[in-house]
Amino acid sequence: MSQPLIDLQHISKKFDDTLVLDDLCLSVRENSFVTLLGPSGCGKTTTLRIIGGFESPDTGNVIFAGNDITKLPPNKRQLNTVFQKYALFPHMSIAENIAFGLKIKKKPKSYIDDKIRYALKLVNLDGFEHRSVDSLSGGQQQRIAIARAIVNEPKVLLLDEPLGALDLKLRQDMQYELIRLKNELGITFIYVTHDQEEALTMSDTIVVMNQGYIQQMGSPEQIYNEPENAFVADFIGESNIVDGLMIHDELVEICGAKFACVDKGFGTNQPVDVVIRPEDIDLVRPENGTLQGVVTHLIFKGVHYEMEVTTPDGFEWLVHSTDMAPVGEKVGIHVDPFDIQIMNKPASEDEEAVGVNE
Amino acid sequence: MKRYSLKQFFQDFYLALILIFLYIPILTMIVLSFNNTKSRTLWGGFTLKWYEQMLQDQAILNALNNTLLIAFVSALIATVIGTASAIGINSMKKLPRTVLMGINNIPILNSEIVTGISLMLCFIAFGISLGFKTVLIAHITFNIPYVILSVMPKLRQTSRYTYEAALDLGASPLQAFFKVVFPDILPGILSGFLMAFTMSLDDFIITHFTRGAGIDTLSTLIYSEVRRGIKPSMYALSAVIFVTVLVLLLITNFTPENNRTGSPQGNDAALVRKRNRSARIRKGVLGIASAAVIFIVGFSTYSRYSVSHSNELYVYNWGEYIDESVIEQFEEETGIHVVYDLFETNEEMYPVIEAGAVQYDAVCPSDYMIQKMAENGLLAEINFDNVPNIKNIDPQFLEMSREFDPENKYSVPYTWGTVGILYNTKLIKERNLPVPERWSDLWNPAYEKEILMQDSVRDAFMVALKSMGYSMNTENPDELELAKQKLIEQKPLVQAYVIDQVRDKMIGGEAAVGVIYSGEMLYIQEEVKNQNLDFSLEYVIPEEGTNLWIDSWVIPANARNKENAEKWIDFLCRPDIALKNFEYITYATPNRAAKELLEPELRNNQAIFPDTEKLEGCEVYRYLGDETDAVYNSLWKEVKSN
Repeated sequence: MSQPLIDLQHISKKFDDTLVLDDLCLSVRENSFVTLLGPSGCGKTTTLRIIGGFESPDTGNVIFAGNDITKLPPNKRQLNTVFQKYALFPHMSIAENIAFGLKIKKKPKSYIDDKIRYALKLVNLDGFEHRSVDSLSGGQQQRIAIARAIVNEPKVLLLDEPLGALDLKLRQDMQYELIRLKNELGITFIYVTHDQEEALTMSDTIVVMNQGYIQQMGSPEQIYNEPENAFVADFIGESNIVDGLMIHDELVEICGAKFACVDKGFGTNQPVDVVIRPEDIDLVRPENGTLQGVVTHLIFKGVHYEMEVTTPDGFEWLVHSTDMAPVGEKVGIHVDPFDIQIMNKPASEDEEAVGVNE
Repeated sequence: MKRYSLKQFFQDFYLALILIFLYIPILTMIVLSFNNTKSRTLWGGFTLKWYEQMLQDQAILNALNNTLLIAFVSALIATVIGTASAIGINSMKKLPRTVLMGINNIPILNSEIVTGISLMLCFIAFGISLGFKTVLIAHITFNIPYVILSVMPKLRQTSRYTYEAALDLGASPLQAFFKVVFPDILPGILSGFLMAFTMSLDDFIITHFTRGAGIDTLSTLIYSEVRRGIKPSMYALSAVIFVTVLVLLLITNFTPENNRTGSPQGNDAALVRKRNRSARIRKGVLGIASAAVIFIVGFSTYSRYSVSHSNELYVYNWGEYIDESVIEQFEEETGIHVVYDLFETNEEMYPVIEAGAVQYDAVCPSDYMIQKMAENGLLAEINFDNVPNIKNIDPQFLEMSREFDPENKYSVPYTWGTVGILYNTKLIKERNLPVPERWSDLWNPAYEKEILMQDSVRDAFMVALKSMGYSMNTENPDELELAKQKLIEQKPLVQAYVIDQVRDKMIGGEAAVGVIYSGEMLYIQEEVKNQNLDFSLEYVIPEEGTNLWIDSWVIPANARNKENAEKWIDFLCRPDIALKNFEYITYATPNRAAKELLEPELRNNQAIFPDTEKLEGCEVYRYLGDETDAVYNSLWKEVKSN
């Protein structure tokens, strides 16, 4: 593995008396698409602002390509930011906005003009040079903000919830756009969002954060399929998190019924958290199910039905299925062993506090 | 089409009424500024002569220059400080920001007189002598809150991220501010600047308290002119100020508006270009205008102050109490630079000299005030070896000066006059009234509602005391009590107690008789002639004798240029100079040699130069001490409230 492009070492940051980042360590490889994901207030934006140079950490160092840049002001850093609210300069035309960084660096006019044309083409907004900022739609403004950043040829592009203000359809289009850009430019993207779908769609690596800690870091598949704790499981997609008892390797007791699973090494008769994704629950005839329950809720969601099945001990299971079972029908619950994810119970009070606050 | 309902009519009528109420006074003034006569009631045809006169008046031009310079510089500095403060305040947390904005608003809401007095006290306490710089500092002080107030909303609208985006794109903090934040808040800064400029232009009270020798702005100048009766050129000046402020306010209110006219859907590239161009044009106009103001003000200031003045003289005098060319002549002949300043009343002048905030070298107070100043050790003895021209002063007046300056060592008489009765020949005849000859005639019931009395304690009591044959400087409580009763007895006959309006009401033919200062007579006689009035106004010095007042030059004890002051006094005693001043002021001159130079017609004008025997029973006001003053005041209050 190559040397990391950005290395955050033991970063802590307090605002007033609130600890926003607590001893955070994070490495970002060159040419990767890293997403910082978490609920608001989890410290992801602060992390990005520390990388960008807009905040300085109380302790710890920011290493960029082997050099310590902790104390370097933002205008001296080889990275550019795309801000949440675009932050275009309202009194300048589109061309002037894009040219801003290049003019500061005193690039020749012909070079700047070429760059403007190239960048506008890249974001599919050819011919917008002389338009004013407020004549553009949100999506267009966002693309200009990206164009303005990339003409400076940064090594890293920092994106702070860039799609947050757009509507759903536009957001999805822009996601593909960003992936395409990332591939064409071949630079590193560090992306901040609280939208797990965005994170799963675009990233090479997802960093799930909560309350100043990194909860889990890994590929989208790892994060989704093998959440390391209840927070990650709950934050990434929807899931059923149930108290369970690890009877021995590959056998777990949930709600009084024994389920076969594939996890090992949790010891015997050990309380654990069990995560089961709603789409992994198969509803079968009551006599074929490992557990029996009654459908108590039914909503049609388009792609699938969302149902709630209440088992005798009172737990409400969230089930996604393309097959529908009407409310009041008795059903059986079946889960394949590899769809059951076993997690350790939080060991300390501290970890317990890492709850879901959204 | 909508029907014009009654309700609508009353709405419009009400609005019109309010507007009329608000603007009729100003409209009146503007109309009068084009009036060919000095009258406030008669229309004598259209003229621009008051505007011409205004533009030729050096005092007005200097004041205009000061006003613009102070307004411009104070607005500029306040804009820089205010903008920086606003940026600082804006980046604070909510609580300190709210508190600071509250503190910022206090000076705006605070009564100006409090701000003015506290600034003055502050300057004096820290030993800063009052002058141009104190006015400037005061104006900067009261302008800053307005700038903050107008920049703040723009800053709040501006996204914090645009500044960070500029940094992110490689701009240094300074570049980021000027390239990104500044253009964004520019409308706020501009309107803040214009607001500050207007406020400064407009201010009187604070300037009045913080100004010192030789500094007059338009507002303080107008105020000091009022004492000698308002000249119509002041209407012209006020009209110009009103229009200027109006225009500035219009610009202030419409500039930020224009910036927003571009519609959000302005998809048209041409529209953007047009908008940019119009913005550029407006910027250009503003730039050229401010450059012009800087140039004019700067140049005139430079030319005024370019000569260095090691040799100076600070003069403190009444408004309109000297022919301006006399000052220039004095400067030319002696090489002494004169800093000339005005006061309106003796009582206003006294604390200034007492506090020593400005160290004047020559002051021109009235009789009783000279006595008070001498008794309190505020005056320096004049070295009469340096004032040989004292020989031109009629010894009669030096003799009379002994009433307030017993050894003739502090003062040199400058002007004098009497208080007498003015009567309207035509009204007296028509209404079959007796011609007044004595003060006691003013108690003749025939004059019911025909008498104008002076609305001032000493003058009113003088009339009553003299009519009974007492001294007008009496401290005898019985005599004063009698005088009070006499004044109460007279009240039904009195049409009004007024001061300056005696002159105008008499010219207007509103009353038959009035108590008046002789100094007004030349003006009154000229006005009667100019307006072709069908009556004449005659002046009598009552037989019982009257108040003879003398204004004299004195040198304060803390004067820094005493010898220059003596040169100044000597210069004013020169016959040719005294003559020039007489012709300008039209108050009687005690200068015998100058009087000889007058045309016989003037020299023999009984209203101005009454025969010596008529002055026999006359007295000069003496300072009676604070306690007696209080007795007079309380008795006067009883008279007025009875």
